[in-house]
Amino acid sequence: MMFTSVEAVQDALAAQNYIAERSLATAIYLSLALHKPLFLEGEAGVGKTEIAKVLARLFDTELIRLQCYEGLDSNTALYEWNYAQQLMHLRLLEATGASRAEMQAELFTREFLQARPLLRAVEAGANGRAPVLLIDEIDRADEEFEALLLELLSDFQVTIPELGTIKAATPPIVIVTSNRTREIHDALKRRCLYFWIDYPSFDKELRIIRTKAPHVEPMLARQITAFIQEMRRMELFKAPGVAETIDWTAALIALDQNALSPEIVAETVGVILKYQDDINALPPESIAALLDRARLTADAAK
Amino acid sequence: MSIYLGADGAPYAGGHLLHNLTLFGRLCRALGMNITPDRITDAARALELIHLGRRDDVYQTLRALFVTRQRDIDLFDEAFQQFWRRPSSEQWSTLDLRSLGETRRKKKMQFLPGPEATPDDENGTNPQGVDDKLIALVPTFSQQELLRTKDFAEMTGAEIAAARQWIARLGWSLGTRATRRRIAGRSAQIDPRRLLRDNLRYGGEMIVLPTRTVKIKPRPLVLLCDISGSMERYTRLLLHFMHGLAHSAYQVESFVFSTRLTRITRSLHHKSIDATLLEVGTSVKDWGGGTRTGDALHSFNYDWGRRVLGHGAVALIITDGWDRGDPELLRAEISRLQRNCYRLIWLNPLLGAPQYEPLTRGAQALLPYVDDFLPIRNLANLEMLVKELKRVDWRRPERSAHAHWIVENTK
Repeated sequence: MMFTSVEAVQDALAAQNYIAERSLATAIYLSLALHKPLFLEGEAGVGKTEIAKVLARLFDTELIRLQCYEGLDSNTALYEWNYAQQLMHLRLLEATGASRAEMQAELFTREFLQARPLLRAVEAGANGRAPVLLIDEIDRADEEFEALLLELLSDFQVTIPELGTIKAATPPIVIVTSNRTREIHDALKRRCLYFWIDYPSFDKELRIIRTKAPHVEPMLARQITAFIQEMRRMELFKAPGVAETIDWTAALIALDQNALSPEIVAETVGVILKYQDDINALPPESIAALLDRARLTADAAK
Repeated sequence: MSIYLGADGAPYAGGHLLHNLTLFGRLCRALGMNITPDRITDAARALELIHLGRRDDVYQTLRALFVTRQRDIDLFDEAFQQFWRRPSSEQWSTLDLRSLGETRRKKKMQFLPGPEATPDDENGTNPQGVDDKLIALVPTFSQQELLRTKDFAEMTGAEIAAARQWIARLGWSLGTRATRRRIAGRSAQIDPRRLLRDNLRYGGEMIVLPTRTVKIKPRPLVLLCDISGSMERYTRLLLHFMHGLAHSAYQVESFVFSTRLTRITRSLHHKSIDATLLEVGTSVKDWGGGTRTGDALHSFNYDWGRRVLGHGAVALIITDGWDRGDPELLRAEISRLQRNCYRLIWLNPLLGAPQYEPLTRGAQALLPYVDDFLPIRNLANLEMLVKELKRVDWRRPERSAHAHWIVENTK
């Protein structure tokens, strides 16, 4: 399946319950059309990772996920030789009196290579169906790991010194996400399309809630959206993301609420704010004031 | 050489699009964006895929290809609006491409540096006829000793130049941390991959046992320097100190603050200290203002903390502890800073002066939350600091309710 316009991407994403604004749909469309990785940056919980999952569903293909962490190296990200089997094979070769050159040729073959996510993504396209490769939270990995990615991202190939270069038959769809806890090197960004995902607007967030929780009372959905939008205007150490909005909606539905009240906000604030300082910054009188403003916005949006 | 083809495969006839695209790419590059020729080729290919009639799509396409960092987005927007507009009349090539950068530069021109100590003359020669290279050799031992313990605030221009050389020779090396990466090296852990490869030359007999060990890296360093009015006498030398440190240590992020916080890491990258001072002078807007340490730390914690305090960073805060802001805020923010870095060191130029006690409100708020409390008054103090920084290793002393004071003068 190939898209022919930005609108088609936008509609297809919406059909998968992912509400994307036109700018994001454009970036995704271009990334697919140009076969370039998409580098998504933004605050935590704005739906970066979700895009990869949605694309995998959309194309009905495998999602290969690489969660980054400090110290991630080629053995865990790219490939590793199966040493135990190699050693066993070596003993067999010795018994047959093989020469050194034969040993070299026999020991380092594809059969002894264990593919890790990146190599798997390169090889998975062999059946003609491009997998989605998600390189998640790349800012958690160290700089050494970025260098490891460069060859893959520009040419969709992996070079193994003992074996040669393995090139993807069908290039994978690559999504790289970052929470911006550090700057990623330009060499890596240059190979990608860059998109900054912002917090959604009122209308977009309302649509997201309605999509994720179709049974929510319209009034409650509007109030939740307005309240969260008001909160993002406050100076918080960690403003609530869309993920928090969705969780909060689910929590309020589970508690059988039809509308927000100061008491229920105070009781469930742990769902949206995860720092003690932020919770302290929201005493009952602030909650009441926020709620008043949110009710006005919610009524106006009716 | 290939010819640019239109959507129907025919060579692109007429149109100035490719030409304009190249011009626009150059404009963006001139504005500091990272545009390579292959980016422009990609853009040309991308424009084939979209509706050229939709300005918004063209904008999104070019933005996705040309912008690689969030802070460039505004600049790109401005450039796009200026460049891709309907020509007002037949004369449509008169857009002054430099004007964008100019307005941006002009915005910064709000402060002129206070050249109180060494006014550089027009010819670019050194003030007071002092030769940079000679100065470190000229002073006799006693002069050096004098310089070593001289208060930074009382130094003349020549002495500052000498002090700068001293700082550069101090051999800054930061404490290290163990990373989670492994490299070849002595340890008890066998490296299976090299084990196989290295022993193949012995016919598969395990003769050499290559091992691997934990990779050690220096810690990142974050400098936060107070440049408010009360620190004025020290500011110039402290900037020399920060410049020297930025050029000799591994990964340094530098900030200055008085009423607000300014990041000066990029300015400090200049090789020449004069270029650095000039740029810092123009980019910092609250030079010699009041001190609101709490607010400055607040914006550091919220905007930068998560981005620069990773990987076991050491933070140095340089301030005299005179603070006019809210002490409660200061307490909350300094404690957050301490929790987010591996070691928090407070350098105070007043500490070590006779009869100084950290009794001001600001100092009282800071003191319980710093790990080490050191003077930064003269070059001898800097030697102490070098030793302290080297000692930061993998074992952090227990965080007590009170800082570890290092005041005694190690002569």
